[in-house]
This record gives sequence, structure tokens and C-alpha cells, in this order.
Amino acid sequence: MKPRCLWIVPVLALLGAGALGAADGRGLYEEGLAAAEAADYEAAFAKLEAAVAAEPDNLRYGTAYRQAVIAAAGDEKKELYERCIDFFKTLVAAHPEAANAYLNLAFAHVDKIPAEGAITQVILANTSLTYFGNALELEESWLGRYSRGHAYLFWPTIFGRAASGIADLEKAIAIARENGDPKPYHARAWAALGDGYWRLDDVDKAREVWTRGRELFPGDGELEARLSRTGREELDAYLEVHYDTGQRVATHLREILGRDAAGHDEPAPR
Amino acid sequence: MRTLAPSFLLLVLATGAAANEIQDAKEAASAKAATIRFEEIGEAAGVRFVHSTRKFAGRHKRQVLEMFTDGGAAVAVGDFDGDGYDDLFVTSSDAGAASHLMRNGGKTRDGKPLSFTEVTAAAGVGGGNDPLSIVADALWLDYDNDGRLDLYVGRFGTPLLYRNEGPGEDGAWRFTEVAAEVGLTKFGNTIGAVAFDADNDGWLDLMLANYFQPLNLLDLETTKVLPNDLDYADNGGGVTFYRGVELEGGRRGFVDATAQAGLAHHTGWSLDVGHADLDNDGWQDVYVAGDYGTDRLFMNNGDGTFKDVTEQAIGFDTRKGMNVDMGDYNRDGFLDVYVTNITDEYMKECNFLWHNNGDGTFIDLSKETGTCDTDWGWAAKWGDVDNDGWEDLFAVNGLRSAGEQNYIPLLLETTIIKPGVDFSDLDSYPDIGDMTWSGYQKQRLFHNLGEGTFKEIAAAAGVDNDLDGRGLGMGDFDNDGRLDFFQANANQPSLFYRGVTENAGNWLELKLTGTTSNRSAIGARVRVEAGGETWLREVNGGNGYSSSSTLRLHFGLGAAARVEAVEIRWPGGKVERLAAKDGQPPVPINAVVRIEEGRGVVAR
Repeated sequence: MKPRCLWIVPVLALLGAGALGAADGRGLYEEGLAAAEAADYEAAFAKLEAAVAAEPDNLRYGTAYRQAVIAAAGDEKKELYERCIDFFKTLVAAHPEAANAYLNLAFAHVDKIPAEGAITQVILANTSLTYFGNALELEESWLGRYSRGHAYLFWPTIFGRAASGIADLEKAIAIARENGDPKPYHARAWAALGDGYWRLDDVDKAREVWTRGRELFPGDGELEARLSRTGREELDAYLEVHYDTGQRVATHLREILGRDAAGHDEPAPR
Repeated sequence: MRTLAPSFLLLVLATGAAANEIQDAKEAASAKAATIRFEEIGEAAGVRFVHSTRKFAGRHKRQVLEMFTDGGAAVAVGDFDGDGYDDLFVTSSDAGAASHLMRNGGKTRDGKPLSFTEVTAAAGVGGGNDPLSIVADALWLDYDNDGRLDLYVGRFGTPLLYRNEGPGEDGAWRFTEVAAEVGLTKFGNTIGAVAFDADNDGWLDLMLANYFQPLNLLDLETTKVLPNDLDYADNGGGVTFYRGVELEGGRRGFVDATAQAGLAHHTGWSLDVGHADLDNDGWQDVYVAGDYGTDRLFMNNGDGTFKDVTEQAIGFDTRKGMNVDMGDYNRDGFLDVYVTNITDEYMKECNFLWHNNGDGTFIDLSKETGTCDTDWGWAAKWGDVDNDGWEDLFAVNGLRSAGEQNYIPLLLETTIIKPGVDFSDLDSYPDIGDMTWSGYQKQRLFHNLGEGTFKEIAAAAGVDNDLDGRGLGMGDFDNDGRLDFFQANANQPSLFYRGVTENAGNWLELKLTGTTSNRSAIGARVRVEAGGETWLREVNGGNGYSSSSTLRLHFGLGAAARVEAVEIRWPGGKVERLAAKDGQPPVPINAVVRIEEGRGVVAR
């Protein structure tokens, strides 16, 4: 409990002051990244929290902070995940208009799951759905729809959440189509949409979706991996590992946030 | 003092002429692979009992309490009458429901079926389910070292201890309930128990696994009695440790030594406790399986007190620990620990097979060995069912098999993910009605392949029933060298599996008797050397959820046709080595052999 008490006062001060501008946020972010790279996590947390406080809706800064927490905490130091969750909770309370802050809050819950027991994992997973929903209420986005849709698919079939996942993933695909700027990572929504039908035990429909996805994104590894498993048992085995709640789900958004050839951040997608 | 040779002769005679025939058959069939098979003979053997859980009344959530207390289908295996055949004590838990003491008639080698006779009434041991107590576990132990097994009955309440008085003039066995007289007076919601000699003073101590905190569920003043967290609960009953002591007048009894033994800080929801010498130092260590939170490993300090080494030895866990049994599954000379947890569609915890690294640490190899998934696990026991020299595992499972509707989605929506819910409150849980919760699960039999992996063979072996298993009593009830199982089921009929494996390997069973050590030799460690290989076993005093198995040690010897040596480290440290002499093996194979501390092989 001690770390949470110590950090919350300065964070509140940061959030309340709102004095830091975007330029300051950028500098703090770069310093935070450097500290994280050097495994100086306390410094990294301080810098990155300050960067996010300066730009609450900055998906990249929040993501960098969460990834630093994962690097420091692994699957053991729950208190660091709690610090991160509390930070974003405070952030959204102070900035209820920041859709990406809600996304980061949702991801922070997902990040903590491997460090928790089975029942707490369920509670975290369910809470993440709520925060993904908050983000989507503020702003429709491919990332929000894909993330929530994918998250629904981790729920065992008996809980009946696969249909909600399918609906979100179809919406994500529609958003990508409307934007007219296909990105390689959009293939993930096709893979996950097929997974949704697999969850519903409609493997024919799943293969149909994956095949359509492969037509749009030829060579995509995830789609190929599914379609190459022609036997039901090998497909089940593959997807059961994919949806093993005990394994960490990648939330670094690396493909989405990306950096250009010069090493500069590309614009975060909406 | 008897010499070895006559004793040996007597033993061969005592175990029946069929021993030679069996050995001949074994040699002839040594090249054939065993086909592991069991036949279910509960009805024919007269040991089919329908367990009944306690029904709750009153203003509190009746069904919720029933859900949380539907264990108690226990079985205790022990030869209470000393006739060389293991007997059965089987519990029930509802108000007024009687438990059953079943005397084994044995003698199947001459073609008679294995059969039991109920002797509960004459023995006076059927009670315990009074209006404010629930029978939940049972254990045979010779607490006073008089050579007769006494019967401990664990309850949600105060314990019962039936002292074995021996046969009366009519030949019927008598017992006297002496719990209060001997100091077993502490209230607890006890679901597991083991008896062992923690301080190696020659007298058994008693360790109890308590589930709920010590409040009477049948007379509640609050609804906040359930786990305060479903992964990290710390408001359970912990353990109770009774040290065996001499009371005034020289009688044997017990004193509550939980705090003095260093165990009072553990307040988890204990479902089982198991003991063994895990670090080969001659002192019994303890593993506590905790529901809703971490298991605990306590190493013996060498004086009957314990040190909690959980963090460094196994780490803290959040699983739903149900069962503890110890066995040397890979024959490396260190006992390993098997713990069942919950694995189901909605919760994939995986069991623990704690491989003993031999350096005070353990590594979970349940996934690697193929023993991870037993669904909603309960009792699981080690035993070499085909006598191939490798210990197999039989695990029972299943929580509640009822109607088609599944309780889990309802529980999830109304309780688990409900913001701000108080998990400790009975009122936070919906009634289960006729719904099923992790029911109709198939039992698992893991055949040890001898290469660090197991193969699940329950269906082929004929033991893949889908009843709601709880306790599991293992023994060789017909003395034919093949292990048998009694499976106690919650609210359902019990099952009794007789081992009928064909082409099983050679075997040896040892019944040890302590003289300066505790009479049942609980904690004695035996190494058997045969065919250039070595096997390790320890006599345990009740390992395994809600059940205790035979006090005999069973060794599968595979193709080894001759035992070269038997080495016994008695509790207290004395080591006896029985080796071949004048070309004669120290003990026969394919026989039940009795060994007494300081005297070697003895006749019955």
C-alpha cells in the first residue's frame, strides 16, 4: 500500500495544476522512455505520469507509461499495476472528455490480469469492458471497437459474450472501411471476428471471415495461422492458447502507434 | 526373539498359498504389458452409501451455506480389528444421518467376493450429526499406542474421538467417545485432518484443516461468514495443531499447540493438510491446501514447531487448493506434492504437481507431466495401480451435478462482477436451486509412464464415472497386491473400485509397527531395493482431501522378482536395514509383510 500513498499526492498536483503544455509533455515522455530503457523505473514512472498528465488524451504517452509498468512489474508486482490503474482513474476523473485516457485505463486493467488470481482476473476483465465502453461513448474508433471486441472473446462461451465481441469487431471493420486508409493492423479485426464465430462454434463462418480477411490482407500472419489449421482439434488448440487468460495480452500498440524511418512518432490513429 | 526364517515362512503361509501361484503367473506374464482395469463392486461388497450433505434452515441463505459446506463425504481406511484386512469408515453429514463402520471379510483369493459387514451400531461410532455439528472427515489413528486403531471424526463443530476398546465378550468391537476427556475440545469447521508425530516423541499429534473461521454455521448471528476475497481470503479457519501429551493419571491426550508450533498466523480457508518429510531431515513437514488463496508450506524446525517457508519454497498462489498428497513420482528420493485446484471452462487454474528440487524449493510441473487438469478437483491419491514401479494418480472431481442450467453465469452477473459486492456476505450470492455447478465431470486416472509424464486412462480403466467425488480411500482390501479405491461422493452413492489389472507387476506391501516410535509407524520412511532399483515411501497419517488411506505401504516392483533390501528409517531416527542373508531375500515379493521396529519381520 505504501507506494500508492506516496505517489498519489504529486499526481493529483500534476493533474490539478494542468500547467504543463504539449511541448513539456513531449519532453517528459522522451525522458521517461529513456529512464525506462535504463530500467530506472521510478524515474520513468514519474516522467511518464507527468507527460500523460500534461496530455491526458495522448494515447502514446499513456501506452508508454503502461509498458514501463509491465516491464517493472512482470507478473508479480501487483502494486505497480494498482498504481497505474489508480493514476488513470484519477486522470479520467479530472479529464472526462479524454477518450484515450479511458482506453489506457481499460488497457491498464488488462495489463494487470496475468498478475492476479482467477476470480480477480474476471473482475479486471469485466471492468476493462466498462472503460472501453466509456472511451467509445466519447469517440468511435477502430482501436476502441477492436480492443473491446477482442476482449469479449476471452470470456468462456458460457458467459455469452461472443456476440457482443462480433458486433464490436464488425463495427471496427466498418470504421476502417469508412476511413478508406487500410493499415496492416486492420487485419487483426478480421482475425478476431472469425475467432468470435469460432467461439460460437460456427467454424465454417469463422473460416469464411478469415478467408475474406486474407483477401484484403494477403500474407497476414494471424489469418494465415488460423487458415492453415484445417483440422478442428489443431485450430481449437491454437485458439485456446491465444485466448488463455493466464497469458499476457500485448497492449503495446506498437504496430498502431509506430515510428517513421527517422525514428519519429507517427500520428496516433483515432 | 523370532528369527527371520520362521517369520518369513509364517508370512508366506499367512498371505496364502496363492502368493506362489501369483508369482508364477507374474513370471510367465512378465513380458506382457499390464492392462489397468478396475471393477466397481460397491453394491456387491455391501459398501454402497448415499452421502447426504447438511440442509440448513433459518433466516440466512439456506442454499448458499449448503453450497459452501457440501464436502463431508469422507472415507477412512484402516484395519481397526487387526485381522489383516483394511476396513472402511464412511461418513454422512445431514442432521441425524449416520456414518458407517464396515468390517472387511476379505478372502477373495479363494474365490469369495470381497464383502463388508456393517458393525456401526455395536461399535457406537455412527453419530455426530447433531443439531449443531456436521460430520466432515474421518481418520484412523492409534493415539494411545495400544495397538488398536482409534477413530477421529472431524466435524464442523468439536471433534469426536472414538477410542477402540477391542472386542467385547460377544466378539463385537466397542468404541468409547473420549474427545472431551482427551482434550479435543476446540470448536472448528474442520474438513481435513492428519495424524503424525511432529516432535518424534513416539506419540501422534493431530493437525486439522479448518475451512470457515470458528463460528457455528448452524447458529449464525451474522451473514458475513464467507471468504472476504475469492483469491486472497484471509478470514478462514486456518489450522489447529494438537500435540499428543500425557494427561493426569498417565492417560494420553492432546493440548492445543497451534500457536506454540508457529501455525496460528495462518488464517486461510484450509481444505486439506498433508504431511511428509520433504527435506529428508527426519522430521515431518506440512503442506496446507488453501481455498480462495495461497497454500502454505511449513517446514519442521526439528522440534515439532514449524517455519512458514511458503514464499521461498513455492511462492504465494491464488488458486483454490483442495487436496494434498505426497509421493516420489519420479523416484529421485525426494517426495513431491500433488495439489488439486479448479480447472473448468470458466476458470483454468491447473493443479500443482510440486516437483521437489531437493534444495528446499519446488517447481510446479503439472502441465509438463500432464496432470494439470482434473476439472473441479477434490481428493487425489498416489498409488502404483499396475505395480510397474511408478506411482500413478487417481483424482476425483465435480462440485454439483444437477439440472441443465449452469449456475456460473448467474453467479458471475449477480456477484462476481457486481461493483462493490461483499463476497463475505451470504446475501451476496444467489440461491443455486436445481442448477449445476461444475458437475458431471469425469474422474481422472493418470498412469505414470515413468519418464516424467502421465497418461490419462480413466475411461479405459473403468473409473471415469461422473459423480461428484470428494474423499478417496485407497488400500488393498483383498490383499491381492492390486490397489483398490473407495470413492465418496457428495449427495450421491459411493463407489468401490476393486483393482483387477491383468499382468500387473510384482509387489510388496509392508505393515509397520512402531515400538519406541508411534505404534502405527506414521512418518516411517522405507526404501525398498529390488532389481537394481530403489523405491521410497512414507507411512502417512491421512493425506488427501476428506479421506485417509491404508497405513500399509504398497510397492509396485515391476519385473523385479526378488527384494534385495528393505531399509526403514523409523520416526525418531533409528534406521533398520533388512538385507539378504545366506542367499535368502529379507522379505518375499507378492506378499503382505509385517515389520516391527527393532524386531524385523514378524508374524501377524
